Amino acid sequence: MKILEFEKLESTQKKAKEIAKEAEPWTVVLAKEQTGGYGRKGNFWYSPRGGLYFSAILPKTKIEDLQILTILAAFCIAKILKEDFKFEPFIKLPNDVYVNNKKICGILTENMILGKEVKNSIIGIGLNTNIEKFPKDLENIATSIKIELKRKVENKELLKKILEELKEKLEIIS
Amino acid sequence: MKFLIKIGDKEYPVEILEKEGEVKIKVGEKEFSFKKEEKIFLAKTKFEKREFKEKRILAPIAGTISEIFVKEGDFVKEGQKIFLLSAMKMENEILSDFEGKVKKVFVKKGENVKKDQTLLIGE
Repeated sequence: MKILEFEKLESTQKKAKEIAKEAEPWTVVLAKEQTGGYGRKGNFWYSPRGGLYFSAILPKTKIEDLQILTILAAFCIAKILKEDFKFEPFIKLPNDVYVNNKKICGILTENMILGKEVKNSIIGIGLNTNIEKFPKDLENIATSIKIELKRKVENKELLKKILEELKEKLEIIS
Repeated sequence: MKFLIKIGDKEYPVEILEKEGEVKIKVGEKEFSFKKEEKIFLAKTKFEKREFKEKRILAPIAGTISEIFVKEGDFVKEGQKIFLLSAMKMENEILSDFEGKVKKVFVKKGENVKKDQTLLIGE
């Protein structure tokens, strides 16, 4: 597992897609902040410093198994949120995780498919960890671990935990 | 003009004569004659129709075409991004598996497609 860390990126997903062709599976692009973080359909993902934003280049999967990637990642995040922070997370299938009816995590899987072969799968995860305050338009629909827990969490530790969990779960299906 | 044609172990004396606008071909005792202006039709040789394997891009999974990056007449390279197919809340870049010209695009942006539906043909 190789983590490429950046202070600031437009988007970890975009960067991961750029390097995906040459990168080893489980290469992870991590940024402390994103200026153009995005989710599905190009929707903006609020990504100030404090949050955990990363994209992992996954090992090749079969087309039939693609569907499970996002769900598996959502499950891993929810499991960690429940076990480590005693939250009662809710997975809005397949790609969002909520805590107290507010979004805490978003997942975007992007695949590159050539013929019948999946060339690359990149999973991008935005987890609101140490975000203290959300802008007005988001404060009623988004939350963070820090807001809920009233304490800071270690982003890097959490990242490693998520990746290990995801890797373990993915190995089961592959 | 005389020949000896050998087929297998058997030899056939063949004679070709040309006289007053007539061509005579004698094979042993048998004689075939043609008028010179008579067109000799060759049996139509059946050429195997060359199979140009059509280049098609199919939908690998069912979903919605959310972007089309090429138009008819464009030249595409293998690995080039052709469509964005949103499926199962994932974004799937459909890459070209051939190099050539885009002959026809069968789908429009926003269209729902089935698995294995032809999205594009190339040449």
